Order: sequence, then C-alpha cells, then structure tokens
Amino acid sequence: MHNVTDTSPNTSIDSTVLDNEPSIRIRDLDFLYGENQVLHNVDLDIFPKEIMAFIGPSGCGKSTLLRCLNRMNDLVDGARIGNGTIEIQGIDLHDKSVDVIELRKKVGMVFQKSNPFPKSIYQNVAYGLQIQGIKSKRVIDEKVEESLRKSALWDEVKDRLNENAYGLSGGQQQRLCIARTLAVEPEIILMDEPCSALDPVATGRVEELILGLKEEYTIVVVTHNMQQAGRISDRTAFFYLGKLIECDQTKKIFLNPNKQQTEDYISGKFG
Amino acid sequence: MSDHKNKEVNPFSPKLSREKVQENLMFGLFRGMTYFVLFCAAFLFWDILSKGANKIFEGDGLINWEFLTEHPQTLHVIGEGDEEIKLSSSNYYKLKDEKILAKWNLFAKSPGFTSNLSDLDNEMIELQKEWTEKSLQFTNAEFLKKERDNISNKFAFWSDLLTDINASARDFEVEPQEIPGLVSEFILGHFEKERSRLPLVETKIILFRAQQYSNIEEPSLNTLKEIEKAYNAFLMKIPETYNQAIKDFGNEVSLTYEDFTLLRGPKEFGRFAEALVAYETIRRAFLDIETKNWNSIKELIIPFKQAMSVSLPSRDYAYSGGGIFPAIIGTLLLVLGAMTIAIILGVFCAIFLAEYGKPGKFLSLIRLAILNLAGVPSIIYGLFGFGLFVIFLDWNVSLLAGWFTLAFMVLPIVITASEESLRSIPQGFREGSLALGATKWIMIKTSVLPFAMPGILTSSILGVARAAGETAPIMFTAAYAKRSELPWEGLEHWTDFFFQGVMALPYHIYVVSAKIPQNEYTSDMQYGTAFVFLFLVIGVASLSMLLRNRLRKKYRW
Ligand SMILES: Nc1ncnc2c1ncn2[C@@H]1O[C@H](COP(=O)(O)OP(=O)(O)OP(=O)(O)O)[C@@H](O)[C@H]1O
Ligand SMILES: [Mg+2]
Repeated sequence: MHNVTDTSPNTSIDSTVLDNEPSIRIRDLDFLYGENQVLHNVDLDIFPKEIMAFIGPSGCGKSTLLRCLNRMNDLVDGARIGNGTIEIQGIDLHDKSVDVIELRKKVGMVFQKSNPFPKSIYQNVAYGLQIQGIKSKRVIDEKVEESLRKSALWDEVKDRLNENAYGLSGGQQQRLCIARTLAVEPEIILMDEPCSALDPVATGRVEELILGLKEEYTIVVVTHNMQQAGRISDRTAFFYLGKLIECDQTKKIFLNPNKQQTEDYISGKFG
Repeated sequence: MSDHKNKEVNPFSPKLSREKVQENLMFGLFRGMTYFVLFCAAFLFWDILSKGANKIFEGDGLINWEFLTEHPQTLHVIGEGDEEIKLSSSNYYKLKDEKILAKWNLFAKSPGFTSNLSDLDNEMIELQKEWTEKSLQFTNAEFLKKERDNISNKFAFWSDLLTDINASARDFEVEPQEIPGLVSEFILGHFEKERSRLPLVETKIILFRAQQYSNIEEPSLNTLKEIEKAYNAFLMKIPETYNQAIKDFGNEVSLTYEDFTLLRGPKEFGRFAEALVAYETIRRAFLDIETKNWNSIKELIIPFKQAMSVSLPSRDYAYSGGGIFPAIIGTLLLVLGAMTIAIILGVFCAIFLAEYGKPGKFLSLIRLAILNLAGVPSIIYGLFGFGLFVIFLDWNVSLLAGWFTLAFMVLPIVITASEESLRSIPQGFREGSLALGATKWIMIKTSVLPFAMPGILTSSILGVARAAGETAPIMFTAAYAKRSELPWEGLEHWTDFFFQGVMALPYHIYVVSAKIPQNEYTSDMQYGTAFVFLFLVIGVASLSMLLRNRLRKKYRW
C-alpha cells in the first residue's frame, strides 16, 4: 500500500531519468534501534541526477533512512536493518563485498549542523583527498578550487584559504561542508536538513547551489521546509511514523496528493 | 518586632523571622568556612615560602646557588653565635686545605728550611733524568740490583746510626723514635685523601717504569688498566712499606727507587706539594741524622708537626649542608619518564574506551576497575611496583621501575581525563570525517585526537605532576637517599641509564625530616627543598597551561 510511485515512469521526470535504472533501490526496509522499530517496510527508488526530498514530521525516520544510504548508522550501537535491502547501482549495501569506506566516498553526506573541522578552509576541502593518500600539491590545489567553485564559495574565500573555517558565517560553513563532500567526487549526495540553521539569504544560496549540482549528482535532501522542497526537488517522499506514505512528483505532492495524511501535513494540520 | 507601628507604615521594614536567622547563619557559615580554608592555604604557602627562602636566599639575599647545584653534604658549623660559619663538606675541606697550605708556606719560608718548592721540583727532574740515563746504561736487572744495593747500604748505615740516636735521643725534645711514626702518619693520612686525585702524570711515570721493569713493548689498554690497578695497590702499600722499612732499618728491606720517587712525581703544587716538601723535610732530617746535626732536626721536625696538625674544630650535621641538585634532576627525570609512559598508555586505553569499545558489561567492568584503581593508596602502588618491577622483572631500584610505578599510579587519572577530552569532541567531526571515506583510525587520528590533545595534555600533565610529589611509590622502586653520581655519570653502557636509582625531592624531604637526627639546620634543608619542589610543580603546571592555550588557539571551534 505504501508503494505510490514505484518505478513506473512518470510524466514530468525528464528523459535522462526515465531511461535509467534507479540509482538507489530500497526494498521492504525495516530498521530498528535496538527493539525500537523506526522504519517500516519502506520501498523507494531514487533515480540518477534527480533531487529527491524527504519530508515528514519530526521523528518519522527521515534521517534514519538517509543515514542508511551511506551506512552511517553502522556507528550507532544496536542499530540494524530488520528486513529488506538497499541497493545502490544494483549492489546490496550490506553485501560482504562492499567496503563501507568506498561506499562513503561514492555517497557523500552533508549534515544538518554544519561541521567543518577546526582547520583552515583549504585543509577542510583537501581533507578527503589527503586521507586517500593523494600527496601532489597541484592535484589537491586544483581539486580544492574546483570544489569551492562548484559550491559557489570560491569568490568569497579565495583570499583567506588558510584561515580557520570557523571564521566563516553559518551559510558559508555549510557550503564549505558541501565543497568538502564534492572534493571526493561522490555520485550521490545526502543532505540532512542542510539549511535548518541558516537565515533566508544563506538558505537561498545553498538552494541555488543544490540546484546547480543536480547536473552531475543524485541528491537526496531531508527538509522541514515545504517551500524549500517545492523549490528544489524533482520528487518528494512523505514519511509518517516510520512509513513511507507517498512519493511522487513534487508538484503533485503539493498540489494534489493521493493521501489524506499528506494533504493534512502539507496544509499544516499536524506535524 | 518593637516597631509595630512602623511596620504598618513601611511594608519593607526589617522583620525578624526564622528564615532570616537561618539565612544569616548559613551565610556566615559559608563565609567562615571559606575563610578558614583560605587561611590554611595562605599559612601553608607562607610557611614554606618564608622558611624556604631562608635556604634559597642565604645571608646576603642573593640566590644560594650552592643549594641548587650541589650534592647533599654534611654541614660543618664553625664558631658560635654571630661568628658562626656554615660550610658544606666540600667547602670545609677546601678551607682546611687552604689553611694547611698557608701554614706550610709559612713554614717553608722559615729559617732553617733551606730549600724551596721549585728547587725541589728541579731536583726531582734531575733525579729522574739521572735515573733514566742510568737505567738505559745497564740492563734492567743489573740496574735494579745496583739500585737496591745502593739503598740497602744506606739503610745499613742508618741502622747503625739509629742505635746511636736512640742512645742520645733522651737529650732532645724530639725523640728520634718519633721520626718513623711521624713519617708514616703523614704519608698514610695524605694518601688516604689524595689517592683519587693523584694526577695522571704519575700514572705515566709508573707505566714508563713498569715498561722498563718488565720489558713491555706496547702496552695494551688492558695492560694500562692492570698497571693502574697495580699502581693503586702500590699506593696503598706505600705507608706500610715505608713504615715497615723505617722500623726495620737494616733488616732485609729493599726499598726501590719507586718508593721514594713516586712521592715526588707530580709537578703541580697544592696539596701534593705538601707531600713533596714534607717528604723532602723528612729526607733532609735523615741526612741530618747522618751528619748528627741534631739541632737542625729539631728545627725542622717541630714546625712540621705543627704544620701538619691544622685543626678546624666544627660541629658536623649529616645531610644539612650542600644542595639538592641530584634530587632536582632525579625528580625531573621521574616526572618526564612517568609522564611519557602514562600519556602513551593512557591515551591508547582512552581511545579504545571512547572510540572502539561497545557499551556493555565488559566496558562497564573496565571503567569500574579504573575508578577503583584511582582510589588505591599510593603505598600500595609502591608495593606493586616493588613486587613486579624491582623483584620479579629484576629491574632493581631504578628509574625504569619508578617510571612505570608512577605511570600506573596516574593512569586512572590520565585515562579518565583523556576519555573525557575525547568525548567532548563534537560527534560532527567524527561523522564528517567518516562520511568523507575515512577509516576509523584515520578519523581518530585526523579529526579527534588533535582536537582532544589540549585537554588530554593539561589534565595528564597536572595529574603526573601531582603524582611526582608522592614519596610512597618511589620509595621502594626508584629513590636513593643519597647518591654521589648524577644520572649521566659513570654509565658503562647507555642502557644503564634506565637501571639506576636516583635521588628525588619528595624522598629527600622525607629523609631529612624523618631519617636523620634533627637539629636546627635540618629544618632549613626541609623547607628549602619544599620551596624548590613547590616551584618545580608550579613550573610544570604553568607549562601545561601554556601548552593548552597554544593548542587551543590553534584549534578553536
Ligand atoms: N541513535 C539512536 N538511537 C535510538 N533511537 C534513535 C536514534 N536516532 C534516532 N532514533 C529514533 O528513531 C526515530 C527516527 O529518528 P530520525 O532522526 O530518523 O527522525 P527524523 O525524521 O530525522 O526527525 P527530525 O525531523 O526531527 O530530524 C525517532 O523516534 C528517534 O527517537
Ligand atoms: Mg533528522
């Protein structure tokens, strides 16, 4: 009953998406923290180069699902998948052959609370490359500039690359975190409420940035901000109490949802 | 209560109530207790600083460097009251030597003493030359025989003389029999003191002689050592030989050339010059005996006797003089070593506990054990270190045993503090790092440890500095009450460095407070040591603060 969109072609998804296999395929996913089941039977496909938004009331499991996608939940004691599979590019994430380190390089993550390292701006962006053992200063320099440009931060920080990242404003810090993620060349970027701590102007910049990234990356973004979901996402998934209620074209979800619960949530009746 | 009317007029007028009394009482109590603690702390510091300053700034208010740079020594106090002079052993003997020399110089200039030191020296050089030439003329065996005959002839002659002397000795103030006694007494006393200071020149002469005796061609290092040993044994024997020789005038005693010339070997003056001159005096005395110049004997011997008996009456107090340099060095070494070991072990444990360990029974058990360890009395650590490191691992009383014992003692503090520092690092750094594809260890190395380091270092250094003040754990494992060598002296192999005991400030305070007879001068020593110790600890503490601030500035978030 939860499978609303599924893999069936959809009119307003652009053709590249149509042609492709789903990039992320979630099937029958149950997820538990200890004995507390927080995801029930989730089925969801996310296609290459689309922006997927997760919405839903607090505590409904958006972050949990997002963190499943790069196995960040491995860090949480007692967190486990009860049932079901997650496949990325056709490979089961929990297969023995999957190296979580390689997975996380392919599936980058930007956190709700911006978390740059207390190092220089340059070192922050270079970090992901350096831990891969890349030594060449030239390669790193180029990559740092490229990533900062992609995240629309270059012009603001090019003269202060060696200053501490915590001297940046909140919005700049968040974009720095995005740049840091881009530097390791992921294919999928997960963003957990990337703008929740930002003012409208900074939010606008980050949204612009996300839209720009769409060309190259598959993006999954969790948000509490309906307008934001409306502005940036191609499709939206609505969760409630650990269940995926509805997933469809963003426009459709906002204008004409299939489910009553979705409509109630979007119109602000609960949440 | 009395202004019942006012109360109605002014609703805020004071009202005596139970709460108010309680409030005032509690306030007074809190304040009183705080002041009491402050008073105690102030008294403690004042006590140590004022009494310690006595020792640190002695007399003229300048820093008493001797206290900071010397070994602990016996204190010699000369004179009474205002004229009291306090001298550590080394200075006392220096003074005594100076006095003897001065007296001797006076004596050397006195009429009747015909020779002077440089004459003697020249004469000695001549003698040596002559002897060398002679020894080259003959084969060794021949030469030695000649020399021996020469000497024993002399003794035979003297032996006859002695009978004469004894017969007529009663007429003189100096009994001729006294002469041998005087000679041996002098030489014995002299060599006891000088044996270790005999210049190398002499060893070379001996070697040269020895070579000629035994036809050694190229002395190897071992031969050199052998000869040195033989030489020392020989020096020990001199007084005996001499004494015996003189007693047994004429008996079959053969004194070799060495027996005489060795004493005259060194060219440098000072204490040894005394020996030369004294020897020369005696020799001349014998010559005078030969020529029956009795008055000359009298003239020479009496002042000689006086000169040799310089006395500096002093009251001696063990451990109350000199300084505490070896203890300062020892404590610094102990602190540094223990700190290194404790921080390495502690940080590794803390990383395991904070980053790798999965919460559960096992981890709680470890935590409980660590908490309990923190409560174990230091003397138990001392026993543990003694049993494990000193006895079982056979490290003896050594720096290494002390390091490990102290390190184990502060380990609970270091682990707890490090774990706390690690946990205080925002989870975001870890997640950020992992999300960029770092392995757990790389994550810890690059995004956790560097930022936790300021906290780890400060609390660990403070913890170790505090533990360094403990006497109990080092008492059985590392501390010597007294040791004359500094840790870097007299090492045969560099590893010996770790297996030597050291002096340490806390143990020194214990020794001078509890192990030696107390007197008016020991308290100075105790407080002086405490003073230095206090500053050392303050130094270490401020160093750790400085370090933390620097690191903090580097990593702020
Ligand atoms: N580390 C954890 N251990 C145990 N339970 C957890 C943990 N993290 C989350 N949960 C529980 O899982 C459920 C889903 O949490 P999750 O963080 O995924 O919600 P969310 O949809 O992201 O909420 P929000 O919008 O407030 O961020 C919640 O009930 C939460 O209490
Ligand atoms: Mg969340």
